[in-house]
Amino acid sequence: MKEDLKRILAEAKERILTTKSLPDLQNLKSSFLGKKSELSQLMMKLRELTPEERPAFGKAINDAKGVLDTLITKMYSRLKDAEINRQNKDMSVDLTMPGRSLNKGSLHPLTLVWREIEDVFISLGFEIAEGTDIEDEFHNFDALNTPQDHPSRNLADTFYVENKQLLRTHTSPVQIRTMETHEPPIRIIAPGRAYRNDKIDATHSPVFHQVEALYVDENVTFADLKDTLNQFVVKMFGPGTKSRIRPHFFPFTEPSAEIDISCVGCGGSGCRICKDSGWIEMGGAGMVDPNVFEKVGIDSEKYTGFAFGLGMDRIAMLKYNIKDIRVLFENDLRVLKQFRNENR
Amino acid sequence: MRISYNWLKQYIDLKLSPEELEDKLTFAGIEVEGVEKTGELQKQIIISKVTACEKMPDSDHLSICQVFDGTETFQVVCGAPNVREGLVIAFAHIGTVLGDFKIKKAKLRGHQSSGMICSEKELELSDNHDGIIELPADAPIGTNIATYLELDDTVYEVEITPNRPDLLGMIGVARDLSALFNLPLHLSEPVLPKTQDSIENYLTLNVLEPEKCTRYTARLIKDVKIEESPKWLKNYLTAIGLRPINNVVDITNYVMMEWGHPLHAFDYDKLEGKEIVVRNAKADESIDALSGESYKLDPDDLVIADGKKTGALAGVVGTVGHSITDETKTIVLEAACFQYATIRKTSYRHKVFTDSSYRFERGLSAETCEIVSKRACELICELTGGTLVDGSLDQCSVELGGWEVGLRPARVKKLLTIDLDNSTLINYMQNLGLKFLRESDETLYFLIPSYRGDLTREIDLIEEIIRLHGYNNVAEKSRPQHIMNSELFDYRRKIQDLLVSAGFYDTVTLSFANPTDFDKLKLPEEHELRKAVRLINPQGTDSAILRTNLLTDQIKVAVYNLKHGTSDIKTFEINKVYQNLENEYSENYQLTGLMTGKMVEKHWKENNQEVDFYDLKGVCEELIEALKIKKLSFIPCTEPYFVPNMSLSVSVNKTIIGSFGKLNPSVAEAFDIDIMDFKQSIFLFDFNFTQLLEKSDKKPVKYDEPLRFPLIRRDISFVISTEHTIDSIKKHIQSVNPSIIREIKLIDEYKGKGIEKGNRSLTFSLIFGSAKKTLTDNFTDNLFNKIVKLLEQQCNIKMR
Ligand SMILES: [Zn+2]
Repeated sequence: MKEDLKRILAEAKERILTTKSLPDLQNLKSSFLGKKSELSQLMMKLRELTPEERPAFGKAINDAKGVLDTLITKMYSRLKDAEINRQNKDMSVDLTMPGRSLNKGSLHPLTLVWREIEDVFISLGFEIAEGTDIEDEFHNFDALNTPQDHPSRNLADTFYVENKQLLRTHTSPVQIRTMETHEPPIRIIAPGRAYRNDKIDATHSPVFHQVEALYVDENVTFADLKDTLNQFVVKMFGPGTKSRIRPHFFPFTEPSAEIDISCVGCGGSGCRICKDSGWIEMGGAGMVDPNVFEKVGIDSEKYTGFAFGLGMDRIAMLKYNIKDIRVLFENDLRVLKQFRNENR
Repeated sequence: MRISYNWLKQYIDLKLSPEELEDKLTFAGIEVEGVEKTGELQKQIIISKVTACEKMPDSDHLSICQVFDGTETFQVVCGAPNVREGLVIAFAHIGTVLGDFKIKKAKLRGHQSSGMICSEKELELSDNHDGIIELPADAPIGTNIATYLELDDTVYEVEITPNRPDLLGMIGVARDLSALFNLPLHLSEPVLPKTQDSIENYLTLNVLEPEKCTRYTARLIKDVKIEESPKWLKNYLTAIGLRPINNVVDITNYVMMEWGHPLHAFDYDKLEGKEIVVRNAKADESIDALSGESYKLDPDDLVIADGKKTGALAGVVGTVGHSITDETKTIVLEAACFQYATIRKTSYRHKVFTDSSYRFERGLSAETCEIVSKRACELICELTGGTLVDGSLDQCSVELGGWEVGLRPARVKKLLTIDLDNSTLINYMQNLGLKFLRESDETLYFLIPSYRGDLTREIDLIEEIIRLHGYNNVAEKSRPQHIMNSELFDYRRKIQDLLVSAGFYDTVTLSFANPTDFDKLKLPEEHELRKAVRLINPQGTDSAILRTNLLTDQIKVAVYNLKHGTSDIKTFEINKVYQNLENEYSENYQLTGLMTGKMVEKHWKENNQEVDFYDLKGVCEELIEALKIKKLSFIPCTEPYFVPNMSLSVSVNKTIIGSFGKLNPSVAEAFDIDIMDFKQSIFLFDFNFTQLLEKSDKKPVKYDEPLRFPLIRRDISFVISTEHTIDSIKKHIQSVNPSIIREIKLIDEYKGKGIEKGNRSLTFSLIFGSAKKTLTDNFTDNLFNKIVKLLEQQCNIKMR
């Protein structure tokens, strides 16, 4: 009987190790370990042995069963791994084929710049103010200290509508309206549309976009103006960009200044964009004229303030290297598509 | 700490009710954590007289008494041994609630008893339950006992910040309140009673650790009689949560609670060697504290000892060895000042936290020792009949007398923006106990009292000024000023982003328009959109007016792109439109979009579909959902530029806020789109953006707990006449069981082969679920059958 056990075990090991498939292994398991297996039959024969021999032999049979069971389990996981590997291999496809697009659209470059400007100024503690495009002469000119006979009031420069109203020629009326209705401290920007009677060409459009900034409080200085401009320019065009202001004339600021930034094309060494000057004109600025404060009833002894206005179309053009302002208003999808991945 | 309203009134003429004071305390920086009314229980008890009293015949201890409460007489059975005729007692009527116990009418051995005569314990006055309270014969019959014993008080549990140890006494709080209300503080200098003899003949003092014990003073009082404290003293202590012990101990506690500075009294006759030594503990030294605990000391602990044995853990707890007992004749009164770190370490090391350690570990003034010592002597002599021995032992290692701090009124104004004149500033400071010294160089100089260790810099004084002046009295300098329309700002971005993520391109077009565009849109003469603002000096007819809509611009953008080879177009713009309404110009934001061509880019694996009406409707529904607009309905649209049965208007509360639909091909043709060549449908949506925002629900979503019970899905397929809309079918289904039918979703529509003309086959997926239980198969089957039956009746469906 000992010989039988040895033989059965050797044969079973041999057959298990040479199995090729999971179903075969399943069959082997029942034939070697099931109720009708040779091992089970050996168990039945135990009673033929002397009572002294029985325990040792019984244990030997059980050990053999344990050995086979472990072997089958091991073989099972080996075969299963092989099977999964085979399936994985079959699954392989051409991974160079294009993925499915999310089909997103894009924001307009002007919207991108608009949002960026808003965010920069909000981070500097400014609020966004809004005005109307249709304005009256008082808010567009008189309150801003513009003389009655100033040429900018001409039909050739300004669009008029009925009722002595006009299309605002700059976003500055928002300054006036805010100061009329709010006590200082005031810290606003007013992005929006402005209109001038210019023929449309590569650099002009009768409808354009401006952003106005106004800061009125006690102790607002020329130094604050320079600092705010500098921070804005760096955040907008990246570190290393510089701003400078040089004397100029606007009726509503005193002193007044023209704002330049270091050229985004060449960084200041001179190129076509900056006409070799290294600087690009961005807009106008200055300290609020006491006459303006007087018009809106703010004590110009107690309060000081600065204001500036920048061209938003121009900022977008400089930032994205757009040479013709008309590109912004054509809405050519081939152009807009290029802005799909701009952050804002 | 607990503060008593009655106690405070000793020092300040409060014109506030206890309720008003609570509020004021908090705003003065003394945060009130709880308020307790005392005497509520005792208020129910009426002073009465026993007019007759006889032993109950069949009882060894009960008496039958007649009790007169000033108006009526009650028969009461009483078991107290000391009850007798003529006694003035505390009487509880039927219905009185003492703790958890309500007094009811009772019968004892057949004798009626209507009420109860109370013991001290029953009235929570003491633990004494040996007999009933015996009130003086002149106690006013009919008055409640709380009033008589002055027990009604309001006690505040307050949180004192660690920088203000001076507020750990009633006087400190009263001083702050006096400064706050600009009321005089009634403080009388303690006056030492008559003295005899000389303390040097009795006692020597030796402070070995002057760094840890910055001042030690001792006074001696002879011939004291240790007894129970008088009523007023016990009431004060009980109100703030201290248990009365005997007159001397109660006085030291009272003075501590009054001034915030702990004192300690001990029995002179128990002092060995007749000396007091302040020293570090020795190795293996231990003490048996008054609390009953015993502590093994650390060499870092500071102890008060006599010539032989340890007396007390300095500033923390006293010892049994020196304690005052009924036999005590001569007492030593200690008023000392210990370094806060020493006390804190000892207190934490041994985990002993006492009213004394609590105060010392916050840092007290050495100067106050003298005041509290005198005050306690004054009271002890008065209440115990003792005699003060002349002189005191006093060892002090710190400089007394306060320090100087300058305050610049200009700085006050700069920091607080309030304009207070010098006399107001000086008054505030003086009310806090600071002494004004002089003004020079635009600076006011003050002498700070030593109990205000927290005031060492100008900024500390400024903080006091604003605290007293009131934080609420500083005007807000608002910045920002809410000039900004944040809603418009946020929602414009949100909707732009939503559309961009859905594949739309954001466009920007100019504000001018050509009046002939109105004809191209087929607008009738009186149409709202024709009310345009006219320019006086336009550059040409194509820019003669300001636009009244964005439809024209969106169509023109499409035309431009079609001409440049792009035929799959999805664009939108959020921008202003202008209208001339009876010579009043209006400017409003409009949201308009256009879609034509393929819905998505061609992918090699998919068939890409042309945009259809349901794509358009899906975008509009998404927009409306994103803005959380509720209670809207889609109604037929009559705009002439749309194909009539291919367009809908969106109505909220009977206001049309927008419309969407298929562009009428003849309009497209008018805008130069060759409709014979160009077979695509063009779809537009057009919303009044300003109104969209108005109707939008700005409230945050309220989370709904997901159903805890499983959902069950059943699909239903039937053939139905096309005259029934999906909306109406859904309504029918929903009506069968609105709370269980969670979702009704159309998943298929089929027309054509096998379906009669004028009919269609529809499949809905229905989701059932209950918030209360798992639905049984039986229930679901029943519900499903009810739905079928209803649809058969109402819509004449044929199940498939
Ligand atoms: Zn350049």
